[in-house]
Amino acid sequence: MTHMVEVKNLKKRYGDKQAVNGVSFTVKKGEIFGILGPNGAGKTTTLEMMETLRPIDSGSVTIDGIDVKKNPQAIKYLIGVQPQSPAFQDKTRLTEVIEMFGAAYGEKVDAMQFLRDVDLEEKAKSFVEDLSGGQKQRLSITTALVHGPKVFFLDEPTTGLDPQARRHLWELIEKVREKGISVIMTTHYMDEAEILCDRIAIMDNGEIIAIDTPRNLIKQLIARGFKKKQEVQQASLEDVFIDLTGKAMRDGS
Amino acid sequence: MKNSWARNWFTVLTFVRINTKRFFRDRTAIFFTIGFPLIFLFVFGSLNNNSSSISFNVALINNSDSAFSKEFADTLKKSDTIKVSEEVTTLDDAKEKMSRSELDAAIVLPETFGDIQSGNNYPSGEAQVIYTQNNLQSGVALTSILESQFQQINQQLVPSVTPFTVAGEQLNENSLSAFDYTFAGLLGFAIIGMGIFGPINVFPELKKMGILRRLSTTPLRVWQYFVSTMIGQAIIGILAIAVMFAVAIWLFNLQVVGSWLELGIFIIFSIMMILGIGLALGGWAKNERQVAPLANIVVFPMMFLSGTFFPRFLMPEWLQNVSAFLPLTPVIDGIRLIITEGAHFIDILPQIGLVAAWMVVIYIIAFKVFRWE
Repeated sequence: MTHMVEVKNLKKRYGDKQAVNGVSFTVKKGEIFGILGPNGAGKTTTLEMMETLRPIDSGSVTIDGIDVKKNPQAIKYLIGVQPQSPAFQDKTRLTEVIEMFGAAYGEKVDAMQFLRDVDLEEKAKSFVEDLSGGQKQRLSITTALVHGPKVFFLDEPTTGLDPQARRHLWELIEKVREKGISVIMTTHYMDEAEILCDRIAIMDNGEIIAIDTPRNLIKQLIARGFKKKQEVQQASLEDVFIDLTGKAMRDGS
Repeated sequence: MKNSWARNWFTVLTFVRINTKRFFRDRTAIFFTIGFPLIFLFVFGSLNNNSSSISFNVALINNSDSAFSKEFADTLKKSDTIKVSEEVTTLDDAKEKMSRSELDAAIVLPETFGDIQSGNNYPSGEAQVIYTQNNLQSGVALTSILESQFQQINQQLVPSVTPFTVAGEQLNENSLSAFDYTFAGLLGFAIIGMGIFGPINVFPELKKMGILRRLSTTPLRVWQYFVSTMIGQAIIGILAIAVMFAVAIWLFNLQVVGSWLELGIFIIFSIMMILGIGLALGGWAKNERQVAPLANIVVFPMMFLSGTFFPRFLMPEWLQNVSAFLPLTPVIDGIRLIITEGAHFIDILPQIGLVAAWMVVIYIIAFKVFRWE
């Protein structure tokens, strides 16, 4: 078994719309795999079928050799899920959130250790409603890792975050990969995909239309004779922003 | 394998621990679970306390200046049963107040009342009791009370032989006060409040925020989630009900005849059954708008027909027969029988059986219709 995740000819239909139409790909251990595509391309539906949240019409998903369709309960021990907009029940302390997620897997966990991993130690005794968007994302990531999953799913993790918080999150995702966890994420940001992902799949109308490393995809485009209209700049506006405001995380981000 | 018994219960108990702590941080939840039923308890408690000692509000219009009429007026003013209004001194004022039911009746002592008629050596006269149609009952009762008072006075003034008499004797045994009866209904109301309104408010909110959906990607099972909610609700419910009992005993002289242990167990059992209705409704509904009308359809018949506020024996027989099978009816009847009649489990088997039957039906439905999102 060389692949951690194997998706074969996956299909899903809602009414008369074929949301996912025969998607196949594989993800290796410790690889960051990005799924890109416009809204309604079928990214989230694909992810949800892999996460046991949606019934699979046809095709198959295996994670670490286990079939998602046949044994969803076993799959739940292998995966960690970061939803698009993480939310937690209010009046709950951060440590309690982590204890509850640990308990959901039947495990007693060291909440402080997991908070330390995402730089939320000082917030340990705060209630979740006092966290900023970025802090909630970080809490959500650490709750998805309490049971030591083999595959980590993130659905548009950096949407709505400021540039500092985004960069911080990228570092966290890199750290997750260093633990040998395979990461599967969707995103709308091309820079994010380019920097973070080892390989990406571009989806449109429920199908994968390209799949490769970011570098190869760019090479192939240039090979097809593509030329950028504008002269390539040595720095982007974001570089200016980061240079002026610094990389340090802000209070409440 | 990870599905061992101990692990499952560790999961459940961790959820219970954290969610119970959460409850005590939430002032709104505390108010609706503990404070709200207490308000009802105070309202019904005070209402019933007044009606247990009957009294009449009357105006006394004394047109006589005889010594006897003065003495009679003073005795009336000291009476507990007859409350003489200090403000009203003319019949017209009294009539106006009677028309608004602020007064039950007016007692008029005519000018000659208490004068000693020529040829007699004792005072005499006729007092009038004036009342409106709406106060017929009070008027009649008041007349007979005065009648018996005059009889005593007559006996002193003109001794005579009374061949037949009647004597009433009060037994010392406990009997049901109106409040003892109402209290079980109030407990039923409180159980509905926490068992149904709790989950139907919380679950759709958790779904809207995607919190339940996130939990569904973990191995957490629906039964674990339900059981943890049940245990948590039972803890909070017993606490809220204990506060109600304390208030009822200290302030409103509630008499609990039966066993506290049996009462406690039966109440926990009942809370869990009623909570199942909340879990089914809240677990099924995708959002608040979906759950509200259905919750009303389910809750209102129980609220009015199960004997929460109106005793069922006042209903027509066919309605009694139907309402006997509502889930809340055996709960209230069972609690009432234990509190007021000292019934044991063996005596309330029909109630326990009905609660158990509903428990099975409700939880089968709740598990079937539950949705994580």
